[in-house]
Amino acid sequence: MNRLGVHALTRRFGGLVANDSISFDVPVEGISAVIGPNGAGKTTLFSMISGFLEPSEGRVVFEGEDVTGVAPERIAARGLVRTFQLAQLFQNLTVLENVKVGRHIRTKAGLWAALARPAWARREEAETERRARELIAFVGLGDQADARAAALPYGQQRLLEIARALAAEPKLLLLDEPAAGLNHDETERLSGIIRRIAAQGTTVLLIEHDMKLVMNTADRIVVLNFGRKIAEGTPTEVQGNPQVIEAYLGGVETPHV
Amino acid sequence: MFDLAYFSQTLVNGLSVGCIYGLIGIGFCVIYNASGIVNFAQGAFVMLGGMITYVLLTTLHLPMIVAGSIAIIVVALLGVLIERIVVRPLWDRNATMFVMILATLAVQIVIERTTLILVGDQPKSIPVFTDLPPIRIGGVSIGYQTLWIIGVSLVLIALLALFFQKTLVGRAMRACSINREAAALQGIPVSRMLALSFALSAALGAIAGILLTPTQFTAFNVGTPFAISGFIAAIVGGFGRPFGAFLGGIALGLAQALAVFGLGSGLKNVAALSVLLIFLFLRPSGILGAAK
Amino acid sequence: MPTLPTTISTNAGLLLRYLPAVLAVGLIAYAIVAGGHFVTLAGFALIYAVFVTGLNIFMGYAGQASFGQNAFAAIGGYASAVLTATYGWPPIPALIVGAAGAALCAVVIGYPTLRLRGHYLAMATLAIGLIVYEVTVQWQSVTQGYMGISGIPPLGIGSWEVTSDRAQLIMLSIVVTLCMASAWLIRNSRFGRAIVALSGSEDAARALGVDVARYKLAAFVVSAVYASLAGSLFVHIVGFVSPEVFGMHMVILGFTMLYVGGIGTITGPLVGAIVINLLPETFRGLKDYQDLVYGAALILLLIYAPGGLASLGNALKRRPSTPIPATAPKGARP
Ligand SMILES: Nc1ncnc2c1ncn2[C@@H]1O[C@H](COP(=O)(O)OP(=O)(O)O)[C@@H](O)[C@H]1O
Ligand SMILES: [Mg+2]
Repeated sequence: MNRLGVHALTRRFGGLVANDSISFDVPVEGISAVIGPNGAGKTTLFSMISGFLEPSEGRVVFEGEDVTGVAPERIAARGLVRTFQLAQLFQNLTVLENVKVGRHIRTKAGLWAALARPAWARREEAETERRARELIAFVGLGDQADARAAALPYGQQRLLEIARALAAEPKLLLLDEPAAGLNHDETERLSGIIRRIAAQGTTVLLIEHDMKLVMNTADRIVVLNFGRKIAEGTPTEVQGNPQVIEAYLGGVETPHV
Repeated sequence: MFDLAYFSQTLVNGLSVGCIYGLIGIGFCVIYNASGIVNFAQGAFVMLGGMITYVLLTTLHLPMIVAGSIAIIVVALLGVLIERIVVRPLWDRNATMFVMILATLAVQIVIERTTLILVGDQPKSIPVFTDLPPIRIGGVSIGYQTLWIIGVSLVLIALLALFFQKTLVGRAMRACSINREAAALQGIPVSRMLALSFALSAALGAIAGILLTPTQFTAFNVGTPFAISGFIAAIVGGFGRPFGAFLGGIALGLAQALAVFGLGSGLKNVAALSVLLIFLFLRPSGILGAAK
Repeated sequence: MPTLPTTISTNAGLLLRYLPAVLAVGLIAYAIVAGGHFVTLAGFALIYAVFVTGLNIFMGYAGQASFGQNAFAAIGGYASAVLTATYGWPPIPALIVGAAGAALCAVVIGYPTLRLRGHYLAMATLAIGLIVYEVTVQWQSVTQGYMGISGIPPLGIGSWEVTSDRAQLIMLSIVVTLCMASAWLIRNSRFGRAIVALSGSEDAARALGVDVARYKLAAFVVSAVYASLAGSLFVHIVGFVSPEVFGMHMVILGFTMLYVGGIGTITGPLVGAIVINLLPETFRGLKDYQDLVYGAALILLLIYAPGGLASLGNALKRRPSTPIPATAPKGARP
């Protein structure tokens, strides 16, 4: 079974067709990637999959269920969690607290539990704390747990965002350009982290601009250009595709309409 | 028994006060479009328009047209001043919408309290522009001031339309409202547009205040209720659409008049808030749909 | 990095952070011991501390703007006044009815507006402030209009009443301690983290499954309950209520206290309430000037010390070692 099915997704902004009838499947196993030049429509696609943007046409099927038009928080509760192209941290929380918010859908203490602190809520909180510390260590931010998130350098903010998303134990993790703004070493580390996430059973779908990272991380690649899917396959297949080469070598001539 | 004459009279009054709400609502839109800021001091401009005119009439005994013009200019300058000393520093620091709202509300309070200290808490009024007995149509009497309100509002709407469509500055302001970054890239001085929007919005508020004061009165604390009504007008019209706001003002004025007709005058503000909540509930993007 | 200087500056920072709170507690203790005029001042400060603690949950944590907190205080205050003075209810059930009424009112206003951008709620709350004021003036059969309601009994349970000034102050101190403790419990919980998170980024919070509209509404209702409690406390302590008591000045005063004490902190509301209440008498006697001064002070604070006076101190102290990001004021984001 596929984790995610995208069926003829289309999104128009006024006259601009940002996504033009895009279809592909994401299998449960491994790492899939969406690549394409700037403005190709990758973020738009992610926003529709994660419920932040209503598709003009088409359907999104997650775990065999149609989730088109479902609110983002409900989609997240089903196990589909995304990150953002520009890291969106909770500025007024510490690093540790940021990751704890990631446990939101896996926990249930509400206002009364906050005030009364029954035993189950204390246990839940202790477990949240433990998981959050584990994840912070996993992405290499262990010694920054109590720093304010806003005080982290950008590269570490991106890692924190991934730890936070992982705290939700997603079935499918959407990463929007996770390597943007990272230096060479950080990118290497990120690549290792993403592989380990996938190895632990989370399906990863990532957007990447940086061809090198994609080619040695992803198992399958979907290529977008000007809002249309122009190729799909393994890294080797995609690399040899003339349309992809043209898109990436900045061919002015585009395969149009 | 249903009293048709009284009913029609209520509607006429609702229409004229609705025009006032509409002008205030346009004031909200002008600033919002230029900057994304909702100026909670909007009501102060309305109050000051009437109040300054009153002071000029009673102390310097100026003719109405002169006093009114001076009041409009003074209030417009005050708008620019607020933009310079309060809004701009916050804007430059990328302050949040929340801080901006709070700061403009504090400006409203400062103006209100200063006025209280300077002129006292007694309501003031100014004479009607045309001192003739009202025109009677059937059982409905229409005062000249009502005609002034409706007439001036319509002229202002036409002038604003011309300004936004035909003049360079007006088109630049519209460009800012569509996309501020893009406008800046095209060399439009976005920050000057912000000051200008405050001047324009303040002037509109002052005109609304001057038109209205002869039929009611003005006092240091009338600003906030007018700001709320103007804001509701803007929402009903689809926030950010000046002409929608004018229609929204008329709709609100009529709705309020009907509520007063049916339920008594104590419920004027309750009616206005209900309109707001019901509208937000059913159709948050306004009668015409949202701008952008 | 040498460790020693860091440790020292951390200790100094800690001291600086808690100093205002320690001083605040000391002042209240002094008032209880010294008695007299000081007791009244301290009492008002403590009632405002409850009010501002609620404001802080909604504005400091959830980052939303409400200008109608005075309406909730009025609902609580009038419920307590009418039910106890007119109908002879015991104070505690009256207080609970008031809080429930305020909460209900918050839901009616918050539900449609909190799904939308911040200024909708801000304006709707401004309107509810005016409406509740009008209702208290015009619903004469119940509220006795401008005349107000007097003869409101002091707080108490059964035949035991808190009557002496000092006993009232001790009771208020306990109430404020409970309020601050509950604010701390709320802040350091799944609920509290969710509301602080959404003030940082609504999109990111939703992406992690936080139902943003629902949490904002919950925070709004909680803040309304605190405000209502403050209103009830006020009428029982003073023994009298009139429409003017819960006017717009209450809102401006509350904001100023919040910004002076430090928005988004646990002790900020108490510190702010005490500082503002104990400011030179000159401001206090003249009510007209008072609002003017606080309004102007609020503008200056927003521009020059967005994290409150305390943050100004911190910023000056910490500048040499850690640069503070100028664009990220503590607390509120929309
Ligand atoms: N909210 C929006 N309104 C209008 N146009 C948009 C919006 N979001 C994206 N676009 C346009 O859609 C196209 C695709 O954008 P995006 O999905 O962000 O591309 P990518 O992530 O591949 O760089 C771009 O031309 C962009 O300008
Ligand atoms: Mg993108």
